[in-house]
Amino acid sequence: MASMVASGNRDGQPLVPKGVDPETCMIVFKNHWAQVVKILEKHDPLRNEANAVQNYVEHMLFLLMEEDSGQAGAMGPILEFVVMENVMERLFVWSLRREFTDDMKLEQLKMYEMLVGQARQPLLHHKPILRPLMMLLSSCSGTAAPQVEAELVLLLNQLCCVLAKDPSILELFFHTSEDQGATNFLIFSLLIPFIHREGTVGQQARDALLLIMALSAENERVAKHVAENTYFCPVLATGLSGLYSSLPTKLEVPNEEWHCLHKEDWLKMPSLVQFLNSLEFCNAVIQVAHPDIRDQLVGYIYNGFLVPVLAPALHKLTLEEVMTTTAYLDLFLRSVTEPALLQTFLSFILLHRHESVHILDTLVSRINTPFQLGTVSLALFRTLIGLYCEDVMLQLVLRYLIPCNHMMLSQRRVVRERDCYSVSAAKILALTPSCCSPDRSPPPLRQLDSILFSKGAETPNSTRATGKRDTSFKGTFCVVYYEIYLDVSYLHYLYDARLSISGCIQACQVWSALYDGEDPPPEKYQPGVLEEPALTRTQMPNTEPPAVNQLELEWDDSYDACPVQTAEAPVESKPPQQPPAEPPKHIQEMRKTAIMLVKGTYIEENEFQDDVMVYDLVAKKDARDVERAKLKSRGSESESTQQGSAELPLKNGLSLTLPPSLMAENSMKTLEPKATGQTDCKSNLQNNNTAAAELGDDLLAQYEELIRTLDSEAGGKQVKTDAEVKKPVAPAAEVEEEEEEEEMDFTSFSAETPEPEKVQSPFGPKFCSGSVGRSHSVPFTGPFVSVLLSRMENMLSNSLHVNLLLTGILAQLAAYPQPLLRSFLLNTNLVFQPTVRSLYQVLATVKHQIEEQAASRKDFPELITAAQHWLLARETSFMAAGRHSSHGEAGRILKSSPPPKPKAISLDRTDVFATVLFTEFLKELAAIAQEHSILSYIPMEE
Amino acid sequence: MLPFFFFSLQRSDNEEQSGHGEQRASPARLPFGKKQLPPIPKNAAPITKPVTTGTPAQSANGTHASYGPFYLEYSLLAEFTLVIKQKLPGIYVQPSYKSALMWFGVIFIRHGLYQDGVFKFTVYIPDNYPDGECPKLVFDIPVFHPLVDPVSGELDVRRAFTKWRRNHNHIWQVLMYARTIFYKINTVEPLNPEAAVLYDKDVHLFKSKVVDSVKLCNSHLFDQPKIDDPYAISFSPWNPAVHEEAKERMFTYKRRPEDHHKGTQVSGLSWVKPGSTQPFSKEDGSPQS
Repeated sequence: MASMVASGNRDGQPLVPKGVDPETCMIVFKNHWAQVVKILEKHDPLRNEANAVQNYVEHMLFLLMEEDSGQAGAMGPILEFVVMENVMERLFVWSLRREFTDDMKLEQLKMYEMLVGQARQPLLHHKPILRPLMMLLSSCSGTAAPQVEAELVLLLNQLCCVLAKDPSILELFFHTSEDQGATNFLIFSLLIPFIHREGTVGQQARDALLLIMALSAENERVAKHVAENTYFCPVLATGLSGLYSSLPTKLEVPNEEWHCLHKEDWLKMPSLVQFLNSLEFCNAVIQVAHPDIRDQLVGYIYNGFLVPVLAPALHKLTLEEVMTTTAYLDLFLRSVTEPALLQTFLSFILLHRHESVHILDTLVSRINTPFQLGTVSLALFRTLIGLYCEDVMLQLVLRYLIPCNHMMLSQRRVVRERDCYSVSAAKILALTPSCCSPDRSPPPLRQLDSILFSKGAETPNSTRATGKRDTSFKGTFCVVYYEIYLDVSYLHYLYDARLSISGCIQACQVWSALYDGEDPPPEKYQPGVLEEPALTRTQMPNTEPPAVNQLELEWDDSYDACPVQTAEAPVESKPPQQPPAEPPKHIQEMRKTAIMLVKGTYIEENEFQDDVMVYDLVAKKDARDVERAKLKSRGSESESTQQGSAELPLKNGLSLTLPPSLMAENSMKTLEPKATGQTDCKSNLQNNNTAAAELGDDLLAQYEELIRTLDSEAGGKQVKTDAEVKKPVAPAAEVEEEEEEEEMDFTSFSAETPEPEKVQSPFGPKFCSGSVGRSHSVPFTGPFVSVLLSRMENMLSNSLHVNLLLTGILAQLAAYPQPLLRSFLLNTNLVFQPTVRSLYQVLATVKHQIEEQAASRKDFPELITAAQHWLLARETSFMAAGRHSSHGEAGRILKSSPPPKPKAISLDRTDVFATVLFTEFLKELAAIAQEHSILSYIPMEE
Repeated sequence: MLPFFFFSLQRSDNEEQSGHGEQRASPARLPFGKKQLPPIPKNAAPITKPVTTGTPAQSANGTHASYGPFYLEYSLLAEFTLVIKQKLPGIYVQPSYKSALMWFGVIFIRHGLYQDGVFKFTVYIPDNYPDGECPKLVFDIPVFHPLVDPVSGELDVRRAFTKWRRNHNHIWQVLMYARTIFYKINTVEPLNPEAAVLYDKDVHLFKSKVVDSVKLCNSHLFDQPKIDDPYAISFSPWNPAVHEEAKERMFTYKRRPEDHHKGTQVSGLSWVKPGSTQPFSKEDGSPQS
């Protein structure tokens, strides 16, 4: 009947013509009701009588709907009659007595939907209307018919809208439920089963629930009810787990460039869309709901989804699965906006330990995997550091910098110094490879614009003689413009740097500390305190210790790249947890899989396309393990070698700074199989022991050779180039920003006064602090930084997109205003501890590699030009697509579909592309350094 | 007493305002896009050097040099931010539109012999800054003072900065020095011997000459700026129709940075308790507990 009623209305011809006076309507209504009552009272109405009821009711409902409320909000006469006569309940009971089919339910639901939606006076305040509605709703619970469900949810949604507008009805809803002997909040409970539903029904249900959540923020009773008497939060959280389990465990990766799930990717995956809908809903609930509900939900998500589901998924057996989970996690982090929910995800990443390893450490270690997992992990970290979250940055980088052990003691005050004269920018730009010198690239590669710079040509001195006062000055200072052809892209980099730094400064205003080398005080957080689990535990009883066991970070080449760290530290001083624990289980598993694969006894159902790479990896790792063991077993021998190296510096001031970096580079070369040639690795694996032994010998031999070279050719060519490349640079002059009182002593500005401190020799402080500063621990800037730098060091062999991600992450890190981070990454004047690798050193190493490459290959310049052309075309196509606002080449977000492959040059020439990218990255970094020198020093209130 | 007046920065209308607006007087940015030449045709001689393999040494310098103007520009910007940071009492400066090497300024003397003096000046920075000599400071009208050249109006800055040392000397110090001379008079080796002698021998006459000089300076306050530049500082008589509203805003609107940036701001996150270096150490706790 309701459908007929509804259709009648839709035609725009109401059954009751407008303008009919209320009294007539009332009379009609009463007459109809009298007829209906006669039929209702019959025990067994005839079919046509039932139809008659339908018609009467239809008409009556319209009269009720069209009625305006009486004066001062009183009920209209029809409504009053309905309430007095209990019309609705009697009708409902009558239909119950007959066969209460799904069709009947549907019709009644529609009837109420219409009434609730279109009545001109509030109806739900009246129990005689509300109660039958509730009875109807509860009779619909658990219904399976989709049509009924759809109509039910629609009606519930409508009721929630009414509730949201008029919360005073809320009490009635609870009371009505009590009348039925239930204390539940029926409309809420009925909605819960639809939370995770797909399509419109699910969406309407979630919208309705959100309205109630918003209500809960102001109404304790609702909040309490939802939190204590319903399964709302557990259903939501476990629903996430359920939906997660239906996601593909392995993604089909479109191409090698792919590294994260973009919208166009996940829109093609219905199960992922559904998961994201539910996640978005959780996000929304947390945003609007009462804090009790929020906390409960967040707790369930942590304990019901992240820990039991996501953590194991991040530690699955195959690389592809792990990569897929990582990509999901990245997507989830990008989808969540509500701080409380982000906090849940982040504390899971930062603090949760899966099989005694922090998730964060595992994720960091994966950056260094040569597979797509490494790339996807990079993308995840790009997301993480883009959150401007203090906790994340603290765990990843800052806590390693707080003790200030990475620099010389005397350098601490340099941390806050401002680079007034763009010295660092100049140094960074000076690393531009000669083959990429701006002079060498013709337009359009280098878009030049003439820029007018102006300078004053004359000072008014010349007018001294003329004697006239006022007029004589006019025009004596003439501004002379000189044109300079400049790479326009540098202006864009400056502009981008300005945007990104100022955005970052703003975002970091909520942080708890400045991280400027004084706050937090370095003395208070020396590594022993900061990193040793036992101590931390006693200090902060409630938080998990942030201990990082370096050796647990498998596949992290950075440790091997700096053998100095392990070798140089005297054996006694090693922390007790140093002996290699078993690698984490997931890595053991992965290795097992890989090894079985290699031995040919293990066949996976699915294609394991990366098998060659796994093979390679295992080979590398095994070789390294053996080598490590070898180094250890020959403890005494290596120690004596170390002794030798430690003594050398005393004879030769240079060598103390040089060996670490040189050794690092050298050992890298030794450890990394030169090319990833399969045959190499196979033979490596076959003669595992001998090969590794040779490798180890080789390393020592090379090392000794190196020391000898250094000793004999201290002033020689090689040393010179290397020194040029690597030596930490001493500050050109001391910068003093003294707090001057109004009465200044201007003599202090004159050169006659002795300078408070002499310019330091670059090697001066090394001797003293080399022995003192590292008494208890080797300076370490943290696994994240070392992994990034070691991948950066391999820039020439990285694929283009890996380098884009890497440079993007480093540029983002460099934009952070915290002096500790800024000085570590950008201040080329800061003198670091010899064992600490700085970004500048790594860049210098890369430049060196590029120069070598360029010198040895004749076709290099042409290839560079070809690569530049292709990258420019690629850039243009991105710009045209309007996807990006930034101008920079580095840090570019990649699309899923790559532009056509370059013709003139193969993408496999990673060295060529890396060279071009390197040059651009230098500009990007220099621009960031320059903008820092202005932006970071303006107090925010200015 | 001073007449009511208002000084303002002229701005050319065609100048595009950046997003920062009035937040702070921004020194002239590189005017790119406005004064550019048509794009360089391909194979333009001066820039496109023939590619010769294996001669890296010579072009490395070129790289360096072509960024030179950027370094200078940013050095000056950095100096300017230092000036802002110092909040020098009674001193206002504004780099010129045409050249970042020329700054316009005005100094208000609030007590002492030169009380009520309003002296406009220009700072000239050598173009090899910061490695050159110290900047010059020239008063628009040579104020009667032992250290100010009575003809050119140039202040003897060099006695305070015998040698300009990068990192150690900054332009705000010059400005500070310019202010100090009006409160603490030094007559040794004067640029204006008459003033020096009078100060030492006949303070009364000196004082009256100073008063005359202050009057003269103030009487020229509303003159057109001496150097025609959009960012030159110019004074105009108090005009309620023009200035009242601005004054009102200055006094009522105490800008709070949080309010100011609301809306567009990217917000960072932190759950670190101040004084701690542990993540999620804030009271509200982490969810797993």
